[in-house]
Amino acid sequence: MLKVPLSVDERWNLIEKISKQTVEFGARKHTLKDAIAELTVKPLTGIPVAIAVLYGFWSFFIDFAGTLFTDGFMVRLFDEHWLPWLQSVFPGGLGNPFYALLVDAGHMENGVLVASDNCLESFGVLTSGFFVPFGVVLWAVLAFYLMFALLEDVGYLPRLAVLVDTVLHKIGLHGYAIVPTFLALGCNVPGVTATRPLETRKQRFMMITLLSVFVPCGAQIGIMQDLVPELMGWIFLTLVIGYLGFGFILNKIVAGKSPEIIMDVPPYRMPMLKNIVSKLWIRTSRFLLVAVPFVLLGCLIVGLMYLTGAMDWLATVLGPFLMSWFGVPGETVAPLIAGFLRKDLAVGMLGGLMEQGIMTTFQVFTSVVLLCIYFPCLATFALMLKEENWKEFLGSIASLIAMVLVYGGLIHLVGIMLGVA
Amino acid sequence: MGHPNVGKSVFFNRLTGAKVLESNYPGTTVDFTKGWMRFGGEDVELIDVPGAFSLEPKDRAEEVAVKILEENRDSVVICVLDASKVERGLYLALEIIERGYPVVVALNMWDVAEDKNIRIDAEKLERILGVPVVPTIAISGEGFKELVSKIKEAAPVKIEKIIENAGGVESAAVSG
Amino acid sequence: MNELEEKFGQIYFAVLGAVGLAFGAAELIASAGEGFTWGILDSSGAADPTFLPWRAIILLSAGFFYLSSVKDFAEIHQLAKAVLGSIMIWIVAGMAIWSRIASSIPGEETWFNSLEGFLASYAPPYCPEMFLLPFSLVIVYYILKEKEAER
Ligand SMILES: Nc1nc2c(ncn2[C@@H]2O[C@H](COP(=O)(O)OP(=O)(O)O)[C@@H](O)[C@H]2O)c(=O)[nH]1
Ligand SMILES: [Mg+2]
Repeated sequence: MLKVPLSVDERWNLIEKISKQTVEFGARKHTLKDAIAELTVKPLTGIPVAIAVLYGFWSFFIDFAGTLFTDGFMVRLFDEHWLPWLQSVFPGGLGNPFYALLVDAGHMENGVLVASDNCLESFGVLTSGFFVPFGVVLWAVLAFYLMFALLEDVGYLPRLAVLVDTVLHKIGLHGYAIVPTFLALGCNVPGVTATRPLETRKQRFMMITLLSVFVPCGAQIGIMQDLVPELMGWIFLTLVIGYLGFGFILNKIVAGKSPEIIMDVPPYRMPMLKNIVSKLWIRTSRFLLVAVPFVLLGCLIVGLMYLTGAMDWLATVLGPFLMSWFGVPGETVAPLIAGFLRKDLAVGMLGGLMEQGIMTTFQVFTSVVLLCIYFPCLATFALMLKEENWKEFLGSIASLIAMVLVYGGLIHLVGIMLGVA
Repeated sequence: MGHPNVGKSVFFNRLTGAKVLESNYPGTTVDFTKGWMRFGGEDVELIDVPGAFSLEPKDRAEEVAVKILEENRDSVVICVLDASKVERGLYLALEIIERGYPVVVALNMWDVAEDKNIRIDAEKLERILGVPVVPTIAISGEGFKELVSKIKEAAPVKIEKIIENAGGVESAAVSG
Repeated sequence: MNELEEKFGQIYFAVLGAVGLAFGAAELIASAGEGFTWGILDSSGAADPTFLPWRAIILLSAGFFYLSSVKDFAEIHQLAKAVLGSIMIWIVAGMAIWSRIASSIPGEETWFNSLEGFLASYAPPYCPEMFLLPFSLVIVYYILKEKEAER
């Protein structure tokens, strides 16, 4: 006689019995949709399609966020109207600490303090602090999530996962890793949460560490694209190499297994406008809620550090190390500090430094990459604490520091060898 | 409860008017969300959980799902099945029934099953399982009224009863 | 689809595939150098030169997809290749059009573009994918036919 609970086999036997009596499988013909689905996962046909899809993703992103909103309207709004207006009506004026904090810190030119003429140089809470999230990042995030929702709902993502499966297996990850990675390109926070379906702690640890180090978020990408569009190709290449390379190393040194995951590949579906809009709204509003306070806070902290002289002190102390190891000037300390809170703000500050003309192209490149990899933003950091146990968390931090030092140094070295550093 | 990517979140959103992310790939929902739905003149709580293949959790997302189930001993479970893959879904449903939960089974993606030429005798399934079984199409809302009206009928069923209805089953030792 | 439709499809997509290959090759050559503009055909990648090689790869693949679909065109697995070829062209051409829309709305000195400026953004020269776009739409007819047959 059977005992309760049933064993696994008994349960399946029962199910077979039941389904024999109730389910009828009719003749099934391959449809055009199935044929297309097949083609998109076979490498020979799937890779060109993937290139086309990613091309579409990226060009939409650039034209929507960059050409139309940021360059088309926002830069004008902020630099030609908002900033001059604040500069004219705000009490205090250049040199006043309160004014510097909120509106415009100004910068030295031939020994004289001059006013900024754009919202990246000014470093004020009301200027840079608003321009970064609303002038640049919001549009980038919108564009990203719009495309992302489309890909999700059509059902393309799992197919991309199947395609990259072979490559990712070499570094001990499963093709599914593409899903958290892609999500993290919007914002690292949901990216880290999406590692939950990974089965072993090792996979999760690797994934979380790689994500938080090598995957820049949409906010950051948006502002990088705005500042250094011509370097984007190189930046992504560097990050991908780092991701794969350190993945390979981590896979070798972290104990544990990376078992197969059975992932269902769902059928292609027609996306529904309603669902896309609602997802866009959920994700964008979530983003604003997290991002805006941190950007403003970051502006304030950095501003205060400048005013109190703490920043200059740090720049002098850390400058020689930054210069000798990474080949970037001490001034990058300010963005690096801001980067603890928000990466987009940090890159924006770097932009301010760039416009003052104190960095070479290679230094700009190195510092942008450094900003991506040196530390996850505060929100991601907090989430890592929650998702990992203590040992793993410390492990993540340790590998993070190691990766930054090694990789940052390596980039500098390559630069020296190529004669560009 | 149900497997990943069977439409649980669409159900949840429709029933509660809440908004959780729905996407066409497994692993979108990795945490639970609570919401309220009107049911027979009162508000009842509904929880959207991550997908799970079985009640023996293999990963963090499944852990969350099982934990929620265990924390809510006296709730009705809406088991969402992918009608085009009933057998797999039934496994989880049976597990939940065995643990003594009152269950309503939703045969979701009825449209997909039809496209694939799979026909399911929902009434017979209902008779065998002894719990309400309702075909649904979550994205268009078909079958939802019936589903909600049948939540009241959900009652715990003994697995022996199901085995009897199915015409007995050999124990694993015999069948290997 | 009936025999006539199949025959037509074969010839049509063979030609379109060949044209796609030719355009793709031209883009590839263009991307190695500065790019070029021939009359109303633009292969200069003016907006972003890093895009040009990728576009060339996509266009070449689309051409190959069309050509390889020709044999036994009515068979769905073959037809599917032609469908994918068209989809790839739609993506690239669609983005080229979108790019023009995005840059046509804001003005140089004013918030919004003047009407002339707006219209001028849509004037030729066009990139090869935009030329192929209308011709690639023929596939829609075959998709609908196939859908009908599936019922
Ligand atoms: N055709 C069809 N698609 C559905 C149905 N129910 C859900 N979907 C789609 O299936 C996908 C997965 O839904 P989701 O609720 O996120 O699944 P969950 O993982 O179970 O929460 C989404 O793309 C839905 O639009 C249905 O009844 N028919
Ligand atoms: Mg869900």
